[in-house]
Amino acid sequence: MPQYEKILLKNMEQPGYAGSLAEYEQTGGYQALRKVLKDMQPDQVIEEVKTSSLRGRGGAGFPTGVKWGFIPKDHPGPIYLCCNADESEPGTFKDRQLMERDPHQMLEGMIITCFAIGAETAYIYIRGEFRLGARILEKAIHEANAAGYLGENILGSGRTIKIYVHAGAGAYICGEETALLESLEGKRGMPRFKPPFPATHGLYQKPTVVNNVETMANIPHIINRGGAWFAGIGSPPKSCGTRVFCLSGHVKRPGNYEVPMGIPFREFIYEIGGGMRSDKPIKAFIPGGASAPFLTPEHLDVKMDFESVALAGSMLGSGGVTVMEEGTSMVWAALRLMEFFYHESCGKCTPCREGSSWMTQILQRIWDKRGRDGDLDMLDELCKNIAGRTVCAFGEAEVGPVQSTLKHFRHEYEALIREAEAAMPRGKEIPVLTN
Amino acid sequence: MLLARFKEEVEDILSRYPVKRSALLPLLNMAQREEGFVSEPAMRDIAKVLDLTPPQVFETVTFYTMFNLKPIGKFHLQVCKSIMCALVRSDEVVKWITKKLNIAPGQTTVDNVFTLSVVECLGSCGTGPMMQVNDDYYEQLTEEKVYRVLDDLARDGDCSLKSGPYMFPLPLAKS
Amino acid sequence: MAAQATSTDMVTLTIDGTSTTVPKGTLVIEAARQIGVMVPHFCYHPKLTPDANCRMCLVEIEKMPRLQTSCSTPVTEGMVVKSSSSVYAQDARKSVLDFILANHPLDCPVCDQGGRCDLQDFSHEYTATTSPFKELKRVFQKEYFSPLIETQMNRCIQCLRCVRYCDQIMDVKALAPVGRGTLTEIKAFGAHELDCEFCGGCIQICPVGAITSRLSMYEFRPWMLKRTDSVCGYCGDGCQITFQTKDNALIEINSTTGVGRNDGDLCARGYFGYHVSEHPDRLTSPLIRKGDALQPVEWEEALELVGQRLLDIKAKHGPDAIGGLISGRCTNEDIYVFQKFMRGVIGTNRIDSSVRYGHLNGVHALQRVQGTHRWAVSFDDIVSADTLLLVGTNITETNPITGLKVKEAVKQRGAKLLTIEALQPAIGSISNIVNLAQHHLGVKPTCYAAAILGLLKAVVEQQILDADLQATSPAYFNDISARLQALSWEAIHVQTGLASDTFTQVAKVFGQGKKVIVLVGPGVLRSSGGFGMTMNLLDLLLVTGKLTQPGCGLAPLAEENNDQGAFEMGGTGAILPGGASLGDPEVRKKLSQAWGRPIPETPGSSLPQMIKDAQEGKLKALIVVGENPLASLPPSSGIHTAFEKLEFLVCQELFLTETAQQAHAVLPACSYAEKDGTFTNTEGHIQPVRKAIDLVGESRPDWEVFSALSVMMKDPMEYGDVKEIGKEIRNLLPGTRILGPTPLPVQPDSSAVARYLTADYQRDIATRYQFPVNDSMDAGHIILQVSQSLFHSGKFSRKAKGLLQVEATGKLYVHPEEAARHGLSDGDTVKVSNSLGDVMTTVGFRERIPQGVAVFPEHFDEEIRRLLPYSVDPETQVPYYKVAHVRLEKVVG
Ligand SMILES: Cc1cc2nc3c(=O)[nH]c(=O)nc-3n(C[C@H](O)[C@H](O)[C@H](O)COP(=O)(O)O)c2cc1C
Ligand code: SF4
Ligand code: FES
Repeated sequence: MPQYEKILLKNMEQPGYAGSLAEYEQTGGYQALRKVLKDMQPDQVIEEVKTSSLRGRGGAGFPTGVKWGFIPKDHPGPIYLCCNADESEPGTFKDRQLMERDPHQMLEGMIITCFAIGAETAYIYIRGEFRLGARILEKAIHEANAAGYLGENILGSGRTIKIYVHAGAGAYICGEETALLESLEGKRGMPRFKPPFPATHGLYQKPTVVNNVETMANIPHIINRGGAWFAGIGSPPKSCGTRVFCLSGHVKRPGNYEVPMGIPFREFIYEIGGGMRSDKPIKAFIPGGASAPFLTPEHLDVKMDFESVALAGSMLGSGGVTVMEEGTSMVWAALRLMEFFYHESCGKCTPCREGSSWMTQILQRIWDKRGRDGDLDMLDELCKNIAGRTVCAFGEAEVGPVQSTLKHFRHEYEALIREAEAAMPRGKEIPVLTN
Repeated sequence: MLLARFKEEVEDILSRYPVKRSALLPLLNMAQREEGFVSEPAMRDIAKVLDLTPPQVFETVTFYTMFNLKPIGKFHLQVCKSIMCALVRSDEVVKWITKKLNIAPGQTTVDNVFTLSVVECLGSCGTGPMMQVNDDYYEQLTEEKVYRVLDDLARDGDCSLKSGPYMFPLPLAKS
Repeated sequence: MAAQATSTDMVTLTIDGTSTTVPKGTLVIEAARQIGVMVPHFCYHPKLTPDANCRMCLVEIEKMPRLQTSCSTPVTEGMVVKSSSSVYAQDARKSVLDFILANHPLDCPVCDQGGRCDLQDFSHEYTATTSPFKELKRVFQKEYFSPLIETQMNRCIQCLRCVRYCDQIMDVKALAPVGRGTLTEIKAFGAHELDCEFCGGCIQICPVGAITSRLSMYEFRPWMLKRTDSVCGYCGDGCQITFQTKDNALIEINSTTGVGRNDGDLCARGYFGYHVSEHPDRLTSPLIRKGDALQPVEWEEALELVGQRLLDIKAKHGPDAIGGLISGRCTNEDIYVFQKFMRGVIGTNRIDSSVRYGHLNGVHALQRVQGTHRWAVSFDDIVSADTLLLVGTNITETNPITGLKVKEAVKQRGAKLLTIEALQPAIGSISNIVNLAQHHLGVKPTCYAAAILGLLKAVVEQQILDADLQATSPAYFNDISARLQALSWEAIHVQTGLASDTFTQVAKVFGQGKKVIVLVGPGVLRSSGGFGMTMNLLDLLLVTGKLTQPGCGLAPLAEENNDQGAFEMGGTGAILPGGASLGDPEVRKKLSQAWGRPIPETPGSSLPQMIKDAQEGKLKALIVVGENPLASLPPSSGIHTAFEKLEFLVCQELFLTETAQQAHAVLPACSYAEKDGTFTNTEGHIQPVRKAIDLVGESRPDWEVFSALSVMMKDPMEYGDVKEIGKEIRNLLPGTRILGPTPLPVQPDSSAVARYLTADYQRDIATRYQFPVNDSMDAGHIILQVSQSLFHSGKFSRKAKGLLQVEATGKLYVHPEEAARHGLSDGDTVKVSNSLGDVMTTVGFRERIPQGVAVFPEHFDEEIRRLLPYSVDPETQVPYYKVAHVRLEKVVG
């Protein structure tokens, strides 16, 4: 198995490492924060992160330093940081590990981010099901407070930064940044239309940065080792650094693997993930979480970076790679995913709300061998009518699996429909009256 | 009144937010922790503390799937059915539980000990099939493991098979 | 359109090839509407903040990726928008409709919205004849929603307009979108039925038939309805309403956004209270007393009797033996002809109207200090004010639409709200204005005077004073300061329970305001010392230099729909039409010339005076028009003994009221739904009232009765129709036009202000700058306040079946803790007593009522008013009888 330098998982992979403050400090933890407080101005921190080319690890891949730079200067405040720990994208389970195994790494990143953007309060919006993670984070925050890394007058710098854990309660959409803000405000987690963007009108309509857990965890390393160092890792200039990819599905060794961006999927699946768990060949894989369109064995040599995957017609998204072996029905797979999206559509936008229920019903029928002529055209049409016409990116996400399986595996749908037609012949056409 | 019993905790929660309504999910989570579900009196109580109308609390409660509006069994078995788990046969897990407890998804055992639900992705796709029981995750389930979890829970109220801090795959011992 | 746009605040863009210039910040959908491009939409509504959820209003905008929602996109300079000219947008809209129709039941044949439904209209415009949706539709279980509002959630398109309206406009927050995704439905709380203000706003704003009125359910198809635009007859807000009638039956009432002083908003009374006119108890023929009974007769006979008796009494005892009392519910034309009849035909100034019950205090105070008898501000000024002070308004229940203007100012435009109210912050099913206050001074209903003085004292102490005025009118300032100095903060604290720094905070916010409006309501105007308190509020505006600033002023709230008109038409004895005093020689001359009759020389007398005179045998006959003093005034006013002494009592009425039952003749009058005319609302806007249904039975407009009587009395005052009266009024009183652009509010008259500042202020300064002599309350007593409910108006609305669904009986409302102190639970029977008597009633809980206070709705006060003491304002003759001290005792068994 090829070995790459671990950055984020390094500590936790040390035997016996449990993520306590003392252990984190022993591995050089909170040195970045000390450095920032001692030697750097907020703007310098932002510049350093810009130099690193770090892009958000939550799914959209927006350059983090640029995002921070959107926070209005000299704003009277308050300014907020929200760490997106909602991790609900099916196929993704990296943030859970980052939080539960090395919580101080992301906390340090958050404290530095607060310093950089001028926030005094930060919330970690963690999905409600992660009870253990929430407890671990709370304990870590407590430790950090006691050690003076958090709270009032951090390390004698005069800065006050408070971090709170805020648990969700079961809603995938709350991972979308504006839905997250609504939810954090105690409302139904419905995305807001943009503009205005959170950078100016975020939490409580105040300037706000929303960043993913993994994004935050990278920050201390960028400060310690420099933006230029980071920018040299992975697939520069646009996909720098490592990512913790989550491997799941029909593979031998599922799990979280940190690798530099840009290695090919083939290497990731076959060498790192140990290949297929049975002898069956790979049939399809999802490269970046449930929202990412399916790719096929043809795409195994695509590089795992933002641009290459986009070029291949999908997206790197949240980094969840799910592999499906030959014999897996793609109609079934699309249906399962569609059920998820139907269940999770917040219901705000008409196309997403109605389209998800409509498509689920059609897919269910096809899978139940009650498909009809015209169903596939209808699915094509529905996908087209949803994508790009909704408030948030959920609209694109929900059509991804269907569109891509229709593109690569249309014959499977057609076969099921033919079976249905054979079992139940169609009635007579309604004649068109002519004169 | 529920909140009166946890005055300090409520105060602490309220102190975290500049706008009261933000405390809504934390307080609802607390109410459910105490009563097993979100009761109407609890919603009214919370509404009062947060200067909301009861409908405002209700609309929020019903948006989030983790809140139960009715009492459920002592242990809430939530089996993930999303595709990653389904690929590794999570549908079987449901069948095993149904076989063992004689309840279908959505049902509660007659002794009110177990309620079975089938849910969407819980963020442990690499270690599926899995289920969440109350606060705990149980992963890489097999038929035996499921039965043991159910037996242990019924007998001891707890089970040592639950997951600890997540790490998967476990680092290989240095050779 | 503003032609000379400055480049900074105006933006030029092109929509479907047409160029237009609009103010910065305008939404594309609005800019399009202004040039006649209708962008289809469901979730957008001009009153609400955009939510962009329906995705119907998509347009193509050059240089922007994907289609954009025109409802949430502000215009930018040089923007090129394609709406109907974009095939992409058209295609997207079609698909959105397909999506909406997918789960829509298409039950148009039984839907009350059918025929005026946005979904029908846009479907007609955009979609093909068949739906591509061939799956199963979602089905919601039908559930009982509320007595007046019905939901049919299968029709819901989830635009959330109703929910947003209930929150953003009404501040009620009673509607909850429940669940998620397609299965979201609009509910109240859990399985409970809706409990709210029942404003009907959700029904009106729903673009489809998902929320409808139970009062008219299944009774009509919209195209069968005849529309008549008119004005609501309940409160002084003067909302524009549209009567929808079918075959002469009132089917429903609605109102249109952008129209009327209410901008399409209504309250429960306006929306659901319209059945009064059609109540089976309506009087349908004249009645005259024969022996003990009132018997139906022909108009001829009744008029002859009344005319003859009045002539006889006049001949025997002189014209001042006859008095007249008219309701502020009548039209301006009715009131004008009434007072002309009384003055010109009978020959007396013994005239009064319901403006006497409180609004007169406000009008007289305005007249004295600023020389106007109207507000110098308008609803628009309230909306754009930066600071609002509410004193004793209980605004949601008394003047709900003025309340909405306050909410708009505070919630949408960030105005600062200061309140002095006998309420405390608490969330309930009816919105509570003090919840929105930046500073709230909660006082008992008897302590407004002290609170106002406290505020004045703080203003003076903090030197939040108009320096110029101080320099030019030192005596006025010194006098007031001296009086205030004499009041100690301790004494103010004893009275109000509030500390000096609380007043200081309020004073500072008040002082910082540039556009400051003080709204004063019945808590002040109808309670002892009301006139003095109103004067002091004007002093507050004056000393801080606000009174004469544009956008600033005092706004006394009129309770009844035409209280303001009653004053302006000369409905009070001492005031002539147009607001001039009875002694004004020029006006007397002008009027007597126009009328061809002299104006009587004797002084005008008020209702309290008439009561006294009747008791003393000086008043022999009374003409009561639409008023019901026997049910309005408490026994302590002596009204019963006064009426017993009358030789002749004639009533013009819709119903056989308590007063009418005592009458010698009862003449059936028609309601506002059956006549033409005008009402003047609380801000002084004169608005047309139009006949929507035929006269009920033999009833007649009031003016017609006076006209007929004058003929009987051989002094004919003939009018062919109401337009002739309107013309006569307009000729005599310039500025009473009803057509044309909305008139600007009158401005304070500087000579009047100067007069006030030099000498006039001194007249009663001694009495109003001290605490009212409160007869101290006995231990164990609490304050009983009889006041206005949101769901009723006088006793009149008790004939409205819709309103009775929401509130059918009176209860004694107290704070739960106050109840607990008396060992009372919700629904218990309680004995309420004081030296005047005792009454049994039921207890209800309301958290917004302060402790030490109990509130009873005046609409159901027939028993409880026995406990009310009565006094009369020495200056304005306003009778005060809304507050008492009482004991509460739980009734066991
Ligand atoms: C439907 C939807 C779900 C999302 N869920 C998550 C999530 O669970 N976790 C996450 O970090 N970002 C999620 N995102 C992305 C966030 O909107 C946002 O881009 C991210 O939190 C920004 O952080 P980053 O810049 O550090 O990636 C989601 C986006 C969408 C549209
Ligand atoms: S696209 Fe879907 S999930 Fe996103 S806001 Fe619209 S309805 Fe909600
Ligand atoms: S009107 Fe614009 S999205 Fe509904």
